[in-house]
Amino acid sequence: SAAAPRPWRLFGAMCLLRLPRITQPLEKEEEEVAALMEQIELEKSHYSDHEIRKLEEEERLKRRKESLHDDDEARGKTVIMAQDLEEKWEQKFLRFKPAPRITDADKNNIRTSLNRKLDSNLMLLVKQKIGNQELWLLPQVEWQPGETLRSTAERAMATFLGDHIEAKILGNAPYGIYKYKFPRAIRTEDNVGAKVFFFKAFLQNSDFTQTELKADYLWVTKNELGDYLKPEYLKKVNRFLLD
Amino acid sequence: SVSPEPVSPHTLCSFSSCSSWLPQRVPLRGSHWQSSILTPRTVLPVRAQPKKKKKVDVRREQAQKDRMKKKLKKLEKAAPELIPIEDFITPLKYSDGSRVRSLPPLSPEETERRVLLLKKWCLFKQKQDEAEKKAIQSLVESQQEALKELRLESEELYQAAIQRDEGLFPFERDGPTYTPPLPGYDPPEGRCVDITKVYTQ
Repeated sequence: SAAAPRPWRLFGAMCLLRLPRITQPLEKEEEEVAALMEQIELEKSHYSDHEIRKLEEEERLKRRKESLHDDDEARGKTVIMAQDLEEKWEQKFLRFKPAPRITDADKNNIRTSLNRKLDSNLMLLVKQKIGNQELWLLPQVEWQPGETLRSTAERAMATFLGDHIEAKILGNAPYGIYKYKFPRAIRTEDNVGAKVFFFKAFLQNSDFTQTELKADYLWVTKNELGDYLKPEYLKKVNRFLLD
Repeated sequence: SVSPEPVSPHTLCSFSSCSSWLPQRVPLRGSHWQSSILTPRTVLPVRAQPKKKKKVDVRREQAQKDRMKKKLKKLEKAAPELIPIEDFITPLKYSDGSRVRSLPPLSPEETERRVLLLKKWCLFKQKQDEAEKKAIQSLVESQQEALKELRLESEELYQAAIQRDEGLFPFERDGPTYTPPLPGYDPPEGRCVDITKVYTQ
């Protein structure tokens, strides 16, 4: 006896996340409390060796200014003051120029670049043709019998990004599902609609060349997803995105 | 023919070893001191006395070993020395009062401000924690729904999906830093010598 024909077509989609590279800026309350904690720590602490040295030298300077017969101390070796050391360290710190937190891609809003929004998660969106529409979607590919859904999702990733992609897929189970029925024109008894299963993966190699991408692609944050995805699809995708 | 004679066990061994190539008719009567030139490595047997000595030695050695073992057990039973936690021991040079910081006392406005700030912080953290829990809850619900739908579709795909992923843990990742890595940065030369004291029990 033949198995009942399943009316739903299965798709596996991959939500590829580029994890943040820099820390998020502190909220106002966080900054205030951080300053308070530093102050309390200072109040509860004792003087360190460096501070004692600084205090003693300040005392000596004051005494030398007030009384004028301490010149015999200054003769001979030149003494490096703690204050001078501190200034030297400050200069050295200012000479170092770290990489900027807000990159060029941020300023020009180049959404295809991976160097944008380094403090939040970036997701890959690809333009795909569904039916007769070009839609922005998470990369998806139809499931073929004989493979698990996870390998479908991996295949989806490979079709759009090439084989050199290194991604850590978080488990064998799908994270979300988007179910939709085909428009009445195409709907048949055997082909009611499609179920898209989403899988999540973290991008591992941070400097892969993006020349292998064949279709139009974008790397967007969770807040920007609304600009590209359809509302129902977006609702389902937002459920499994932590941000 | 060789007649059987009372012989000591040592010579018997030598006989058996060379029986293969000594002709049977060689006269080997009398004392076993006259062994033939062809017999290899005959041991001149020594009587009685050394056997007793060996037993006494063995007993003495056994007694010594037992004594050593008892001593070892006693040492092991004693509690092992506790490893000192260096963070909890204040070095003596900080215990005199000369290093106490001299700061003006806190004004009542300052204490008031601090208390109110800590209350605001408490509320902020509570909201943050609730939001996190809600997000995790929504993620788990979404996953459960997906698995339910998958089960409706095909049992084998569902079984494959609920398998444990062995390659996932241990999962290691470097956390975010304050600034992104500087391309082409040449760190200064130097060697880091670790001088932490390591204690063994």
